[in-house]
Amino acid sequence: MNSIKIGISGVRGVVGETFTPELVVGFAQAFGTYLDAGRVLICRDTRSSGPMVHAAVVAGLLAAGCEVVDLGICPTPSLQLAVRWLAAEGGISITAGHNPEPWNALKFVRADGLYLNATQADELLDIFHQAEFAKATWARIKTEVAQADAIAHHLDTLVRAFDAPAVRARRPRVAVDCCNSSCALLAPRWLAELGCEVLAVNDDPTAGFPHAPEPRRETMAQLRALVRAGHADIGFAHDADGERLGLVTETGEILPAEATLALAAEITLRRTSGTVVTNVSTSGAIDVIAARHGASVVRTPVGQAFISEAMIETRAVVGGEGSGGVIVPRVQLTHDSAATVGLLLEHLAQTGARVSELAATLPRLVLLKRDVAVAPNRIYSVLQRLYDALAREQVAYDQTDGIKISWPDGWLHVRVSNTESLIRIISEAATETRARELLDWARDRLGKG
Amino acid sequence: MRAIPTLKISISGVRGVVGESLTPTLLVRFAQAFGTYVGPGQIVIGRDPRPSGEMVRQSVVAGLLSAGCRVVDLGVCPVPTVQLLVRERRARGGIAITASHNPAAWNALKFVNAAGLFLTGAQARQLLDIYHQGEYAKVSGAEMRAVEAATGALDLHIKAILDVLGPLPPSARKLRVAIDSGNGAGSIIAPRLLAALGAEVWPVNVVPDGSFPRGAEPVPENLGALCALVREHKADVGFAQDMDADRLAVVSERGAAIGEEYTLVLATRYVLGREPGPVVANLATTHALDALARSYNCPIYRSKIGEANVAEEMQRRAAVIGGEGNGGVIYPRINFARDSLVGMALILHLLAASGRTVTELLAELPPRYMLKEKLACRSDRIGKVLNTIRREYAQWPMDLRDGIKVTLPDGWLLVRGSNTEPIIRLVAEAETTEKAARIIAEATNHTRACLDA
Repeated sequence: MNSIKIGISGVRGVVGETFTPELVVGFAQAFGTYLDAGRVLICRDTRSSGPMVHAAVVAGLLAAGCEVVDLGICPTPSLQLAVRWLAAEGGISITAGHNPEPWNALKFVRADGLYLNATQADELLDIFHQAEFAKATWARIKTEVAQADAIAHHLDTLVRAFDAPAVRARRPRVAVDCCNSSCALLAPRWLAELGCEVLAVNDDPTAGFPHAPEPRRETMAQLRALVRAGHADIGFAHDADGERLGLVTETGEILPAEATLALAAEITLRRTSGTVVTNVSTSGAIDVIAARHGASVVRTPVGQAFISEAMIETRAVVGGEGSGGVIVPRVQLTHDSAATVGLLLEHLAQTGARVSELAATLPRLVLLKRDVAVAPNRIYSVLQRLYDALAREQVAYDQTDGIKISWPDGWLHVRVSNTESLIRIISEAATETRARELLDWARDRLGKG
Repeated sequence: MRAIPTLKISISGVRGVVGESLTPTLLVRFAQAFGTYVGPGQIVIGRDPRPSGEMVRQSVVAGLLSAGCRVVDLGVCPVPTVQLLVRERRARGGIAITASHNPAAWNALKFVNAAGLFLTGAQARQLLDIYHQGEYAKVSGAEMRAVEAATGALDLHIKAILDVLGPLPPSARKLRVAIDSGNGAGSIIAPRLLAALGAEVWPVNVVPDGSFPRGAEPVPENLGALCALVREHKADVGFAQDMDADRLAVVSERGAAIGEEYTLVLATRYVLGREPGPVVANLATTHALDALARSYNCPIYRSKIGEANVAEEMQRRAAVIGGEGNGGVIYPRINFARDSLVGMALILHLLAASGRTVTELLAELPPRYMLKEKLACRSDRIGKVLNTIRREYAQWPMDLRDGIKVTLPDGWLLVRGSNTEPIIRLVAEAETTEKAARIIAEATNHTRACLDA
């Protein structure tokens, strides 16, 4: 199985195998060359390969003549917000996000705080492959690495963006799982700013990941127990770098990852009208919610940069992905779990509703995912079998990203992962039986890997 | 003519020009190769304060961590401090980040073995084989350690010197010392050491910003400010260090730079006076040292040029002191490394114990005059030059261990290719300047004729 992925989500791989310091140095030099030197922000999450990758990134950026500002351990959205604040040319977040601990990655951020889009990522790759990097001479090379506190700046921005007094007046009791990563330095402080009574777990950035850094049912049992034992009003689960958010209701129900964006859309559309942007893999619940409020939905390929750019184009009011990443435009146009926390707590405080009541209003659909591990050299031929079957059976499909097939009572999406050597199959229908039938329908046509 | 390359990978380490040949990729690979070579354990690193130091340091840290090493970072410090700490901490090895006397555009890695010595020729070749093979040890994130920022290394270095030599003996008058660290790594430790020894100190160029306020080498033409400082404050002695504080030059109480060759001579005089024993110096070092050793009935042995070669010969001969004529003093009882701080302490003790001035001490030695010349020379031409020299001087005794050293009736001549730069070096020494000039002029003519042919 290959353990390197270079694509729109940046460059990621397994440390000790493919994600070598040479590769990292090369990409940092390429990015420094792409930005034509200038100021570059860097941050990392808490995985133990962080210091090695960090040193390699600093070396590459300095060699390319960049001025490096180190934000230390800090969530990716804090870095993205700080790019404009510090008038930087861009940034590199050292985090493999929701990938397991052995992985690490570089995520490239441009001058407006958004991720490189597909075209820009291709340009960066071309520079990397050409390997003719800008090299600063001794007279121009920066002699030191500066530091800045992006988390304090993020907090200032959040406090101004939301109705903090309304939340403070309610003094909600909030459980939070920071996955012992960078959110440990942001999320508890943000909740304290909002006047919450904070029940924090896994909030030690030196302790290592307690579970997979991805908010899903299997990783949220500890948070649910905390919500129940502490009689919390809500529970929040953060991923490793502050993008995705998982929710537990005050009744101790773990909501599916899809519910985070659905709730954010419901809340936002109750207050403002406008477009919702999400990717082709995200639950049809978003369409039902938008229809209720007379709003439209724009679907993009999978990848944050596509959603951010579509939101700018359509002046959307909310956006995100079914994985739990939500974009709240009044903070910034990128996934930001702390901003999502603000949106939810503000709404609950202002309306006095319980989160379980709000969740009950969401359309009940069953979304199933199946990952099929396929060797990189087999991916093309396996997908071709599906294309052949669709042509033979004359089934219509959407090709925004991968293959999406819609039926009146459900849909099916098959695509190659951006981050791992997998084919992802997603189906959704009103019942689990029907959703499972759709998964099987796809698997039959893909055949054996 | 083909451009002379700016990258020099040799047994002295890897050095190159930042912004040209010394790229972070190359540095990361060398650090990985070194980590692979010495194995997963403690590695001590330190750097001189030149502008590219931070880029190089970060590259080295990335490569070492990836190979599973535990990095002990001393920050900006002298090279001999890295060597001392490798032994103190029983580390697997060390990397000193410094291009020592090379100009600001250069930087380099020097590799230190577990004994605190620079890699021997054989070790360096093994490292190069690993580097070229390109298959490096790689550990998973779970096995990686955070970098340890070691504080107190400089204190430990000063203590090591005082423990062996003690402070200067109390006398009617404190010794007055002027120090020029060239804004190099010595800036942060030399004034403190001198004060701890009990001297009165006047410093110049002791801001460790790597800004090269004077030429990087502590040769006489770069020491005008120090000489003036000595005269202004009527100092007993002036000391000048190079960028990484391994080499030391001395200025007399009259404000005259006496030449780096005499640093080792003065230090040796103090050591042989108290503990007679074998002395080792490289082939290019002044023969005034032979006269001094003879006066103490001590044997002197010559080695190839380069700290690693001198150190190896010192171990073989159980030398009490050794070093190089470029101001590198190795005194194994404190630090088996060229150490300008140790050199200062030895020379100050000599002044205090003898009650004589630098000028008086030098006057006791037979006169020797040394002249040096260097010519740009592509590495592939060096052999041709050496063959010419060998032919031209065939009637005289020769030492062929490192280039060609010819013993002439009225002096000696050494011709060799540099390990660190694409140049050929010529050195001559005789009893008078005129004789030395004649020797070097003749050899230079032979060399030029050969290069132009």
